[in-house]
Formats: sequence, structure tokens, C-alpha cells
Amino acid sequence: MSESYLKKENLTKLIEAFTGGGGVFIAPTVEDRQIFYRPVSTGEEITFDYIVPKNSHKEILFPQTEVVANYRIGKDAVDVEGVEIDPPETVFFGIRPCDAASVASLRSVFTWDFIDTYYTKREEKTLFIGVACTIADDSCFCTTVGVTPDGSEGSDLLLKETEGGNYIVEVVTERGGEFVKRFDDIFTGPAPGGAVDGMKPIVDVPVLEGVNREKIHDFLKNTDHYENNALWGEMARKCMGCGACTFGCPTCHCFDIIDEGTAFGGERRKNWDACQFDFFTTHAGGGHNPRDTQYKRWRNRFMCKFNYYPNKFTSKGCVGCGRCIRVCPVRLDITEVMEDISQQ
Amino acid sequence: MATEEAAIENTEQKAPWEPKITAFVCNWCTYAGADLAGTSRMEYRPNVRIIKLPCTGRIDPLFIIKAFERGSDAVLVSGCHPGDCHYTTGNYHARRRWIAFNSLMKFVGIDLRRLQFSWVSASEAIKWVDLINNLTTEVKDLGPFVDYKKL
Amino acid sequence: MEKALQDKARELLEAGDVKVVIGYGWNKRKTQTTPVFITDPADVERLVFNPLCVNNLSLYLTRQYKDIQALGKPAIVAKGCDIRTIAVLIAEGQVARDGIVIIGAVCNGVVYRQELWKGELTPEIMPTKCHNCDVRNPHIADHIVGDPVDFQPPDDPSGMVYDKIGALDGQEDGDRWSFWMEHFERCVKCYACSKICPLCYCERCIVEKNMPQWIETSAHARGNLAWNLTRAMHLAGRCTFCGECERACPVDIPLNLVNQKLALTIDDAFEYKSGYDENEHPPLIVYSPDDEENFIK
Repeated sequence: MSESYLKKENLTKLIEAFTGGGGVFIAPTVEDRQIFYRPVSTGEEITFDYIVPKNSHKEILFPQTEVVANYRIGKDAVDVEGVEIDPPETVFFGIRPCDAASVASLRSVFTWDFIDTYYTKREEKTLFIGVACTIADDSCFCTTVGVTPDGSEGSDLLLKETEGGNYIVEVVTERGGEFVKRFDDIFTGPAPGGAVDGMKPIVDVPVLEGVNREKIHDFLKNTDHYENNALWGEMARKCMGCGACTFGCPTCHCFDIIDEGTAFGGERRKNWDACQFDFFTTHAGGGHNPRDTQYKRWRNRFMCKFNYYPNKFTSKGCVGCGRCIRVCPVRLDITEVMEDISQQ
Repeated sequence: MATEEAAIENTEQKAPWEPKITAFVCNWCTYAGADLAGTSRMEYRPNVRIIKLPCTGRIDPLFIIKAFERGSDAVLVSGCHPGDCHYTTGNYHARRRWIAFNSLMKFVGIDLRRLQFSWVSASEAIKWVDLINNLTTEVKDLGPFVDYKKL
Repeated sequence: MEKALQDKARELLEAGDVKVVIGYGWNKRKTQTTPVFITDPADVERLVFNPLCVNNLSLYLTRQYKDIQALGKPAIVAKGCDIRTIAVLIAEGQVARDGIVIIGAVCNGVVYRQELWKGELTPEIMPTKCHNCDVRNPHIADHIVGDPVDFQPPDDPSGMVYDKIGALDGQEDGDRWSFWMEHFERCVKCYACSKICPLCYCERCIVEKNMPQWIETSAHARGNLAWNLTRAMHLAGRCTFCGECERACPVDIPLNLVNQKLALTIDDAFEYKSGYDENEHPPLIVYSPDDEENFIK
């Protein structure tokens, strides 16, 4: 594990050098008073004052909508032509350790029983430059689910801010190392003849005392509790099924395949879907819906993240980024539910 | 979509661009008026595609949005004069809806010259012919509805 | 005032007629308010009322919340703006007036977003609807808690939303189109706007119809435009400007502008403001032979 040094003032040089070769540089930037990850072309567009931006890397690796096939309806036959993607080289700058840990979660699902090349091709071309957290808010709960504010899992390079506003660069993967070598005039070593300016303290995100992960695990494994409608009803009654939590969550991965077109042809698209939507589990031909009320759908969200997903994969169902809590219009707080279940 | 783009390109190579106008008309008045224009052998611009509905009250703003989505450069909505509706009150309801919809389309930035409303009765074949001719000329000058097609 | 509210809730629950009180409570960390459903008179102390109570709780009275309806007759804590929504729900036959108990709460304004609260309610953090509110004293209620206030809204609607609408109206078509496309491109089709709107109560929304698919569900600008235009039209003459749609939007699309522009048009054309009289018909289901038609050829 080697270390380098990156000055903030050299970011524009880095971006220009990288995008000059046809790459796309994505970083947190202010858009209409909120912070989103978007492609940038200069260092000045990047904002450094954020906890997590509103969107996540999910939008880049797994776009909200994309065409997977085109079809033409002729007189005697239907012509279907699959779409192959050729994503550009991408640098994802400023990913937080929580989000970085969730890249593995998406990868698990999209390489599980079928290799989804729409995902894998994008991930292969993306380099993650993580930035360790020096600030947090009360919606962050990474430490409660086993992630740390300075964790390097999922990042190719991990940047730690210094008091002087620059970065100490820790090379985590071989890919990260190659990137540093490629731009070794920008990623310099420590200033010659002197120590690097001191590091900003990593923020302390206290583990939520009320949450007992083992108890939650045991509780959810017991299928009797699944039918305990009174408990789930009470905890999730206020949920109104908007799907904002699902769409912001970096590990949520469900999608819908739909056809959009005219009588002559059209596109087959892969769009984000959410288990919170009313008709998510409606059965074809019959219309029976096993999750017919909202709290049942919210119960599924919780079970999926803390039971079904961890049972199948070693990656995490929830990384504690807190987006769901911040965006929920009725403030349905997943950590409160974790605390309630821990007390059962 | 690929086929439509190819079709547009093909026609552009052969002839100058002609606007595509979709007209939502009511069966009892405007459609009859257009019929009368036809039986009277009146000539008028061929750019309009007529969609016949029983009454203008049936027109959902979604129809108009869909018409623009599918490539119309302009939309015309036409029905019976107030007081003459075959179903008595259909066009009154439609009028209210159009007041709201017109304001919304303008607010979103759509040129209202591309969205026109009219009352044409079953005997007003001449009015229909003039309406189509004028609308076609106006839209031809405006050009294709590129903003929507680009979406 | 909170004590009066809690006492009233306890009284109603103990009397037995009301089975659940839908109100506002603190979250565990006491940093934000959240909807609570009190069924036990012993729990009424969870009820609070303060400028952080932004939610429009009338959402939970609508038809799709069958598990809440199963709890029994509700009493609802409602600010004036929420009561306007309830009035529209009653006018449209979704809620029976005698099927609910309205606990009207006198309100001096709320914050635009709960995160903006720093301890004091200042005009800058209040949404436009509060600056123009003429129902700070609830106009329809079975019980009222809080002392009446004397607040005169300006004669003409004013504030950020109306200023922006005025500014947009003055622009060229092309500029307005660019403004809206920039916003609608961000839409991710999460439907939070529709889910949080108490008046979007259709059990099968038009966007969920797929034979044929009228409104495309993909998040491209074409589908987003169709969705937002349709929702605005379906709310024409009904929207009471509670502002929840804009608050719920995870990508901050200024939905208030579109819905209020339509409300202004409706008021202009038909002299109607929704939510003041629960016996009045919404304007788009009635008509007048004298409606203006200067735009019709």
C-alpha cells in the first residue's frame, strides 16, 4: 500500500488530462442548490462540502433507464436487435466509504446467476476515487452496519483530506496504482524536504446503541415474525410508498423491463423499479397481490436488506449512507425500526 | 425510433418538408363538416390526419401530448359550437379543460400556434377548409417541432 | 397548546367513538416530526404541534390506506392548509364529513423543509403558502386547539413561488421550455409527488396502465414531460397548494410553480379557489355557458 499526494489545485489538470483522452470525470457538484454527482470538466465545479450527494454511483453503473434492444415489427416477422454498450473510461471522484462498500453489493446481484453486461462493462471501465469522511450528520449510520468513515473497501484510491485542504492518496487496488502512475506528474509524493500538512481528523460516527444486529438477524430468520402484522404495521404505517428511498439507495437494484414503441417498432428498456410501488408484486393474469398494503411492502424492504440479501451474498444489503432517512418525506427512519426490533 | 428517423430522412431527400398535423374532431359536427368539404370536392392541404371521436368531451389532454410525442408538428382540436353539442354538454366540459390545458402548455414553453382549438359545425365546410389551409401555412413557417422531437 | 391538543385527543379516544388520532410526533432523536397514529389514550403525550409539523396528514384519510381505515374512525390533527385538502376530499366523495373528526390546529406557519429549522421560525425559511395563508385559524373543524391569530395575507398572492411564476410568464417560449426541460430531465420517476399528494388517490394511476402505456415510465425527458403535464392537469382546480409534492421530490423539481400556475389560471377564469367549501363542486366537473373562449377559432 503506497501513498501519494494530490493537491486540490491540480484537480483541473487531472480532469483535463483524463477527459482529453475521451474519459468522463464524475464528481460532486452543486446543481440547483443541491449536490449531485455529475460529469465535470474543471476542478472549480467540484464541491467538497458534502456528506453524501443526493444521487449515488448507482446512476452511473446502473442508469435509471437504458435501451437493451431495438425491435422492428415487419409484415411477417419481428426483428430484435440487442444493444451492446461501449461505455467510456470513467473516474468516479469523491465516493464516500459507505457508497464504495455498496459497489460490491450491486456487483453481487448483477453477476450472480447471469452476468449482466450492461453493469459489468460499466464497472470495468470505472475507477473509484474515494474520499474519507471528515463530516457526518445524524442520518449517517455506517458504523452500525460494519462500515467505517475511512474504509477503503470498494475504492481504488482512498483520499484523506489534510489540514491544508489537499489529499493524501492511499493506493488500494492495482488499478488505482496504475492510475497514479499514469498521472504521476499530478499525484506527487510528499513535499520535498518537509512533512505533509497534517491530516484532518476522520469524523466519529458512533454506533447506534439501540441496535443489536444479531438480535435483528435472529428475529428476521424466525418466519413467525414475518406474519406479525401488528408489529410491522405499527412501525411502517406512515410509509406512503413513494419509492424515494429505493431510488436513492446505492444497494437497491430491482428493475423492470418494458417495451416502448409504436405499431412499427420501438425500444426495449430496462428501468428502475421499486418494491415500494403498489403493483410491484401484482401477479399477471389474476391480479392477486401478496403485498397489498404499504406496510407489507416496507417490511419487504427491511427484510431484503437485512435478511434475504445477507443470506445470499457476502456483500452488504445496507451500508448506512442514510439517504433513505434524509429523503423520506414522512421521516420513516430505518434505524428506528432496527432499534425497535432489537428490543423485541 | 430507428424506422421513423429513416422514414423522415427518406422523405426529406425527395421533397421539401411538410408539417404533420393531427386533428381530434367530434363526429357530429366537425367530422361532418370535413365530410361536406370532401363531397363538395373542395381542395385543401393534405397535411391533416383526422382522428374521429364521438365528442370533444372525450378528449383527454393526454391525447394531445401523445400526438406531439409521436411526431405531430401541430394539433388541432375541433368540435360543435357551444349549445349545439350532440350530447348536450360535452363541449362545455371540453372548453373548461382546454382553458386549463392551454395555460399549462404555454407555461411549459410550447408555442401555442402549434395547438389550436375551433368550433366547426356540420355545415361549415368552408370554415374547415380555411382553417386547415391557414394552419398548415402557419406551421410550415414555424418549421418542424424540433424541441419535442429531440426528446 | 400542545397540552390542549393532547387533552382533546385523550378525551376523544376515551369517549370511544374515535379509534385513532392521526397527528404529529417526534422521531426518536427529537430532531424532526413524523406522522403518528395514536390508538391508546395513554400515548397521547406523543402528540406535538410546532413549526416542524409540515406533513399534510389528510393523505392518510384516502382510500388506499386500508389498514388505517381498518383501525376505525379517525380524528386528524390538521392545519388550515390540510383542512383545505380535506374539504376537497369531502367534495369529491372520498371522505365522509361525519366519518372523521377534525382537530383544527391554529398555525403560525411551518418551515419549508424540516432540515432548515435552527430554533426560530423566520420568514425566509417559511414556504410561500404560509405567507399567503388565509386559514391560519382553521375554517372547518370539529374542535380547535390554539388561540386565534390575526394575520392578514397580502391582497395579491406574493412570495417566491408567485414571483417566479411571474418571471417565467414574462419570458420567451424558448426560455421557458429550456427551464422546464432542465428540471424535468432530472426526474427519476419515483412518483413521490403523486404518492404524497392526498388528492392523487387513484388506486390505479394512469401511469400504471400498460395496455396501452399512455405515459412512458422511463426517466427520459419525453416520458417525464408527459407525466408532469398529466399530473398537473389531473390536479387542475383541485390542488390546494400544500406544497408536499415539491418537498417530497428527491431531485428538487419546482412542482409548486406548475401547480400554482394552473391554480391561478383557474381562479382567473372561474373565480374558484379549492378547499374552502366542502360542498362546492371542483370547477372542471362543472361548466358554465359563459366560459371565455377567446382562444377558440
